[in-house]
Amino acid sequence: MYKLAGEERFLLWAVCSIQLQVLCDKSGEKLLLLAEGLLKKHIASHSMHEPEALMVYISLLEQQSKYNDALEVLSGNLGSLLVIEVDKLRIQGRLLARARDYAAAVDVYKKILELSPDDWECFLQYLGCLFEDDSMWKYFDDTDQIHPTKNIECKFSHLTEEMFDSRISSASELVQKLQRDTENSNLRGPHLAEIEIEKRKFLYGKKNDSELLKSLLQYFLKFGHLACYASDVEAFLQVLPPHKMAEFVGMLVENADSVSASATTVLGQTTTILKVQELTGNVFELPLGEIEASAVKLAKLYCQNLPLSKDLDPQESMFGEELLSLISNMLVQLYWRTRDFCYLAEAIMVLELGLSIRGHVWQYKILLLHIYSYIGALPLAFERYKALDVKNILTETVSHHILCQMLESPMWVDLNNLLQDYLKFMDDHLKESADLTFLAYRHRNYSKVIEFVLFKQRLQQSNQYEAARVEASLLQLKQNADSIEEEERVLENLKSGVQLVELSNEMGSRTLRFNEDMQTRPWWTPCPEKNYLLGSFEDFSYCPKENVNKDREENVKRSIQRKSLLPRMVYLSIQCSATALKESLETKGSGGDLKTCEELKSLLEEYTKTLGSSFSDAVEMITEISQGARTFETLGSDLVDWLNFAVFWNAWSLSSQEHWHVLNLLFERLILDRIKSMGSSQMNSCYSDVQVLVQIITEPLAWHSLVIQACTRSSLPSGKKKKKAQHSDHLPSSPMSQAIKDSIHSLCSTVQEVSNWLLNQINNPEDDQVERFLTTLKRNEGPGQVLGVLESFIASSEESEVGSRIFESLKTWSKADSARKTVTAQQRVLREFHQICGSKRKLLEKLKQQMSHV
Amino acid sequence: MVCIRRATVDDLLAMQACNLMCLPENYQMKYYLYHILSWPQLLYVAEDYNGRIVGYVLAKMDEESNECHGHITSLAVLRTHRKLGLATKLMTAAQSAMEQVYEAEYVSLHVRRSNRAAFHLYTETLGYKIHDVEAKYYADGEDAYDMRKYFKGKQNHQQSHGHHHHHHHGGGCCSGDAVDTTPAEDAIATTSK
Repeated sequence: MYKLAGEERFLLWAVCSIQLQVLCDKSGEKLLLLAEGLLKKHIASHSMHEPEALMVYISLLEQQSKYNDALEVLSGNLGSLLVIEVDKLRIQGRLLARARDYAAAVDVYKKILELSPDDWECFLQYLGCLFEDDSMWKYFDDTDQIHPTKNIECKFSHLTEEMFDSRISSASELVQKLQRDTENSNLRGPHLAEIEIEKRKFLYGKKNDSELLKSLLQYFLKFGHLACYASDVEAFLQVLPPHKMAEFVGMLVENADSVSASATTVLGQTTTILKVQELTGNVFELPLGEIEASAVKLAKLYCQNLPLSKDLDPQESMFGEELLSLISNMLVQLYWRTRDFCYLAEAIMVLELGLSIRGHVWQYKILLLHIYSYIGALPLAFERYKALDVKNILTETVSHHILCQMLESPMWVDLNNLLQDYLKFMDDHLKESADLTFLAYRHRNYSKVIEFVLFKQRLQQSNQYEAARVEASLLQLKQNADSIEEEERVLENLKSGVQLVELSNEMGSRTLRFNEDMQTRPWWTPCPEKNYLLGSFEDFSYCPKENVNKDREENVKRSIQRKSLLPRMVYLSIQCSATALKESLETKGSGGDLKTCEELKSLLEEYTKTLGSSFSDAVEMITEISQGARTFETLGSDLVDWLNFAVFWNAWSLSSQEHWHVLNLLFERLILDRIKSMGSSQMNSCYSDVQVLVQIITEPLAWHSLVIQACTRSSLPSGKKKKKAQHSDHLPSSPMSQAIKDSIHSLCSTVQEVSNWLLNQINNPEDDQVERFLTTLKRNEGPGQVLGVLESFIASSEESEVGSRIFESLKTWSKADSARKTVTAQQRVLREFHQICGSKRKLLEKLKQQMSHV
Repeated sequence: MVCIRRATVDDLLAMQACNLMCLPENYQMKYYLYHILSWPQLLYVAEDYNGRIVGYVLAKMDEESNECHGHITSLAVLRTHRKLGLATKLMTAAQSAMEQVYEAEYVSLHVRRSNRAAFHLYTETLGYKIHDVEAKYYADGEDAYDMRKYFKGKQNHQQSHGHHHHHHHGGGCCSGDAVDTTPAEDAIATTSK
């Protein structure tokens, strides 16, 4: 097309395609040379007319590390295509730095800083070039997380002390100049730059910790009342040893202005100090009494300052809004350390009250979502999640808050919607991306074509996307497991699980991307797989939330690998079972079609590998656990996966009565043990046990009952062969049919136990439970004080003081309402689960009857 | 200013996260993409000192009328980062790109009648004037002010023309081929509200 029309854009299409090919395949670098040649020829004959074309040319040269050539182009005639001066300087600085012409790069960055003294990225690049340190590019190139890492590596080893000193002092001079130039503005950059310099000195080994603290304190005195102070200084604090961080908190408390300053400054500074305590982990070292007193103090502060927000628009942020999140974080910690449920109940009340005053505060919703999830009030957690209005790309970045809990719950309808909405968004986006790529081409935004294609790849490789596709298939299998005919239809649609097995095989070599925004998660669950509240306070060591994704990759990969084997294993188990009983009745053979069995065996081997074990070790493990020679704690958090293994292992070797026996014992032990440990405790404290039971009943137990269904079906008379069937009535019972009967019997009574436990909870009158919830909050000392402060404020507040909107929400909020909603939500989870158990029991009874004829 | 820089496609993830935290309006992702892929020079983000996106402005070129003009689609700054002048910086960056790169005559925007803080920013700090009121512009039935700001030396060009309740996206003036409108773009254009 370029040859025909001679238009620049057609040539650039071709060049972009080449660049993409090289970027995505990481090969064919020679093609870049070809592209460069094409562009050069074009420039020679037609020159170049569009800024975007120039950007492509430069990036092409950069991609080949021809930085000096790129600089030449930029400073030549073509450079005038870039009309915004700072943009041009930024490119120039980057190219110089990449070419390791650090002295020249430093000059360019200085120029940019003089033009825009608050450009932080530029300041970091300036320092990088000053110290001839190319490790900073790792920081700028790492785009894998939504929020880039805060800790920038610094390399100094190539500098002598003298060189370091002279360079750091020239940086200091520049920063002082920038500070002077911007004296009358509220720019934070030049002041933060001062701290950065102290930090570099500290990392170099200058033992200047007191200067570093002093600069942080100076920054506090200037900007400590702002909501962004804590996140501004987080990266600096993290280089300090713990005792220095604690010292710093002490300095802040001492220096906070409580006399002369305005109410908003005091409020801002107090909030900041607490946020610093939280992010340094300092708050976890305080004695209980101190935390409690602090929470009470904050509650009072919140109430005192409500009148400040009297005239604010509803969409504006309130003064002291963050205090309620901080209070709730403390209350959750108090609960964790004392296991006194009242604290958790109090946290719920504090946040619900906050939401009733300001309905848009997302932090309250997220905190509530996680507290509700923890105590098994999942429908309410889901409601709070929905109130976040998560849609579009947010389904990729935010749904991690709820997805994991929903996958382990009996709330299948909501789970299905969640998965379908997410998958639809991703599928639609991937479908539309060709059109969007074309849109960028049409607007001649070539650099965006490349960015967009890489972005598409990023979404395509999303770990959550892969996992959700597997989970959506598993959910269908779980939902239909009570009818083998329905299950076979689902399996047929899943191509008998073959594609998912392929996914499992490929997973090892796949790149997975992590697009989830983990920073919005509460302290006690920094990622979906972790919840500190489930462990004890004593075993805890504080670690910052950052980079939590790095540890996840291996686990997530393995879990996808494992789960994507399940549909095929279900399919093969049914196949194996279909002939097993008949054969055992007729020939006492080993059962099953040989090829099917072999395939199942090889999948079992794969499966155990993902559990970090060999097939024979895995068999030994489950056998020993069934006999009580090992405790099931050895299985850790993979308990359900091990049970799945046991089920399919039995399906693979149905003729062995011993295997049936091991499996029965495993189910009994694991389930009854949970029930025993839960006893008559409230959902509030034992929901994690309920979650495990839900998984056992809806996965391994469901798969096993499918195996039994397949066995019995094969022994049943089909309508036409009634005669033969009657004949089989007279057959002596084979060892295998006896094993099946025993298994049905065992499952029946185990599921009955679960049902009984659930019924016991459900039959607990709702009013009583609400009453109990509320009485935990009525105490004279210890927990309950925070709520006390808030309640007495509500009782005494006046409309003229807080304004009609706030007054209205204070008066309409009801503690009893919140308590009732929580209890109702818990009950709903129990009822859904009870229903599932009921239908399993019905199935088992039916099978029992069928087997009585064999 | 923190760092006010051009948005990249990857920034979309953090930009929509911003939306979760400060705006009830939540555009479809393809609408963001439509902007960034068509007028990448008009999208700016405010990146805070620790690399976090704390605000953004989303804008486009419109050629409804005879005058080539820009339109601010969305402006957001995290609640934790308000009152630092970020919104002004973001707006100024987008406006000057409209003027310099696309030679726009003026820039327009819509604002909720109840949003006093934003209204104050547009009129007092940035020099916008009310051009019209659009009844029930927002999904929840609230009215919008249709506001405009003419760029320097172009104030005299003001002409009267019908106001519109919907965004329409043509090829975009000054942005490439304004001639053909492909079905792909039409599909995207329907998502604007």
